[in-house]
Order: sequence, then structure tokens, then C-alpha cells
Amino acid sequence: MINRIVALLIRYKNIAFGSFPRLISIFYWPTVQILFWGFFTNFFMTSEKFGVWSSLNIILSAVVLWDVLFRGQLGLTMSFFEELWSRNLPNLFITPLKDFEIVLSLILASLFRTLIGMTPAVFFANYFFDFHLFELGVYLIFLFINLIIVGWAVGFLVSGLVLRYGHAFEELAWALIFIILPFSCVYYPLDSLPQILQGFAKILPTVHIFESMRSLLIENVINVNEILKIVIMNTFYVTISVLFFLRMIKVARNKGLLFNQGE
Amino acid sequence: MSRSSIEINKLSKNYGDSDVIKDITFKLPQKGIYGILGKNGAGKTTLLAMLMGLVTPSSGDIYIFGKSLKYQKYEILKDINFQSPYVELPKKMTVLQNLHFYARLYDVKNYQFVINKISQELKIEELLMKNYGSLSSGQKTRVNLCKSLLNKPRLLLLDEPTASLDISTSEFVRNYIINFQKKNNSTVVITSHDLVEIELMCSYLVILEKGSIFYKGSIKTLIKKNNYKSLKEFFLK
Repeated sequence: MINRIVALLIRYKNIAFGSFPRLISIFYWPTVQILFWGFFTNFFMTSEKFGVWSSLNIILSAVVLWDVLFRGQLGLTMSFFEELWSRNLPNLFITPLKDFEIVLSLILASLFRTLIGMTPAVFFANYFFDFHLFELGVYLIFLFINLIIVGWAVGFLVSGLVLRYGHAFEELAWALIFIILPFSCVYYPLDSLPQILQGFAKILPTVHIFESMRSLLIENVINVNEILKIVIMNTFYVTISVLFFLRMIKVARNKGLLFNQGE
Repeated sequence: MSRSSIEINKLSKNYGDSDVIKDITFKLPQKGIYGILGKNGAGKTTLLAMLMGLVTPSSGDIYIFGKSLKYQKYEILKDINFQSPYVELPKKMTVLQNLHFYARLYDVKNYQFVINKISQELKIEELLMKNYGSLSSGQKTRVNLCKSLLNKPRLLLLDEPTASLDISTSEFVRNYIINFQKKNNSTVVITSHDLVEIELMCSYLVILEKGSIFYKGSIKTLIKKNNYKSLKEFFLK
């Protein structure tokens, strides 16, 4: 009996420690949880000035908008992973389908999946919690588009890595977004982070998106400087990410990986 | 060049230090059924994958119907299709949804009619509404073959076309492929471990060994020249 249990334990150890992303996810999650809730509590202790309902509204807005990013990214990566899981890539890549057409299709699939997924959530939040996401008006569309673009940037990066390095990197489809969550200042302002982390956080477009959301909901102010930063950063990141994905398709062709992908 | 369906010039593929295909050159005429044979690891799958643009050659050129695969890939891919038991279709879609999907990717005109016709001919109509993932290996092989014929390919690449099929269905599929080739004047390239099948279907052979061409020519010549009774005897020796 002991031998059989040891055999299984060795197998589970090999699975867990056999790939870098899995190893990272084991160590990273507890740290992420502590950092995230620590920063969040810090902010909440000092946010009496907003009142309970106003704070709830800000937090719910952040929850919904964060989910736009998450759904956007997941919608893209899952659509691509479906082709890998069903061992369908060779059939797909021998059709006259061009690489950029795959990119466009994944973007549209992600957009539709996000819209379909988010609509009931927004209406339920509105009904049960007197939630006023639509107070953001036209600006809501701007935030939505930019968050989904962040999702696409992450999605193409993860899809490219999985295509090149295999299924071990699938873990990143769920993990990567949450790795940047504590530094994205979704539920608390940038100045809740320690000074040393603020410099890193500022290179994330998500920080500027959620800072803009709070500035509009709390102070009713649209910060043009922040808007510019969001647009420039997102254009840069999504372009790099799509180019990376296209490059990985080329590498996969060179290394014969398109023929060997599967469950 | 235009007389050949496939023309390969000094083609090589290596992965790091491992040479999978070594400087091979051959031509296959248009209109006919040809076999690519070799033991495991001989380079057959890599060669097929390079013919479809799935693997980029390390050096050398591939021309299909006189067009360079390097520069006119998407024009060529419209006229090619492929079937392999090791490459599946999306499992969570029905057979019909899969066939619609691929018909659109190949821009097949009047595809509903085409799908009905081929699925009737291949006797898979009763499978159309079933989930692809729920099919047996033999049923998947016939559905994959149906997919590979949707664009009426001028060049059809078949990797073990009768794998997982029972004897009578194998016979049926073999005859279907032979008739398809004759009717459409297509070029069909087959890799198979079933040497009897190759002998029955192919007129011309390319035999690979460790990435190089060991033999190219007609099966009859190979057997006669070496005084063998069959292709199987040649491989066993």
C-alpha cells in the first residue's frame, strides 16, 4: 500500500514541479491573496469619507470592470485552447485561413463572449444593490473597450506561450491576470501601494483605467492625462502581444509544433 | 514544372542536431495515386507536414502544381486537403457543424449540397447530427475523409486512410478514393503501414529511410528487380 501511495505522490510531485508556470502558481497564490487583501483593507480603513453606499458602488463598479478584463482574456484564450485540446490545429492551419484572420476571429469571439457574459451580471447588480455603473455614461464604453484590450493583450501573450512551450503554460490563462491584480489598483487607489511598488504599477494600463474610474465616480472629474496614458499603453501592449502571437505561430511552424499539439 | 503535381528540390529539415529530412529531390506526376513509405521515424509525417505548409523546411523548395509553397502558400492551400487518424475535428461540435465550418474555411460554394452529396457517398448521413467526440475511431476516419473532400482537392494527402476501419469498410474507402481520383483527375498521396493497401492503390512509390530517399519509382519495378513476391517481402528483408 505504501509503495502505491508513494508512487502517486511522486507522480503529483512531478506534475506540480515539472513546469515553471505550475511551480510559480503554487507559490504565487498565497502571496497574491495576502497582498491584495492587505492593500484593500488599508484603503477601506481610510475611506470613511465616501460612506458605505458610495464605497459599495465603487467596489461593485471595479468588480464588474475587472471582470470585463478577465472575461475578455479568457474568451480569447479559451477559444484558442479549444483548437489545441481538440487536436484540430493541423486541420485549421492547412486551410487557406491566414494568421491575421485567426487573430481577428479570436478578438471578435472574445468581444461577443464578454458582452454575453457581462450583461446579466450588470443587470443583477443594478437590481439588487442599486448599482450605478451607467453613471459612468459614455466613459463606461471607453473603460470597457480599454479593459477588454488589456484582456486581449494578455490573451495573445498566453496563447503564444502555450503554442510555443506547450500545455504547462495553460495555467497562465487563469493566473496571469491575477498576478497583476494586486498591482492594478482595482479596488484601492495607487497611493495605497507602498512607494516601491507604485513605480511598477504605473506601467500597467489597468492602474490608469481604475484610477480614472474612481476619479469619475468620486470627484466627477475626467482626467485627460490618464486617458492619453491608457490609449498609448494599450496600443503598445496589444500590438506587441499580437506580434508575439504571430511570431509564435511562425516558430511553431519551424519547430513542427503545429502537428504535435493535443490533450 | 507544370507537369508535376509535386516537385521537391533539395529539401531538408532539421530540428537542432537531428536531421529529419536530408536533401531530398523528387517529382510526382499529376493525376494518380502515389505512396510515401518508410519505417517509423523515416520522415514521412514531416514530409507530409511540409507539403501542407505546417512545417517550414530548413532548406530547399517545394512546388505544388507549379506554384512555390514558400511564396504562393494560400493559393496552393485552396487546392489541397488532408486526412489523418491522428488529427481530429472539434469534439464539441456535431459532424454537420464541423463540415459546415470547414466548408466555409475553404469557401466551398453551395456547401450544403456538397456536404449532403459526399456524406451520402461515404455513408455517414446518420452521423451528421452526432457530436464528433462521441464517434468511434472508424466513424471519425470516414468523417475526416468527408472533410478532406469538401473542397474537391486537386492534391489529397492521406495519412493511413483506412486506419481503424473494419475489412469491408476499408475496401469501400479504398475504392471510393480510387474513384474520386479518377473522376476528378486529382493527385492522391498516401502514407500507410498497410503495404497491401499501398500495393493495391499506388502506382508509384517514394520510400524514405532515415530522412533520405531509399527508392523512388514504380512498385512493379521494385518487386521485379529484386525478385520479391510482394512489397511486404521487400520491407521484411
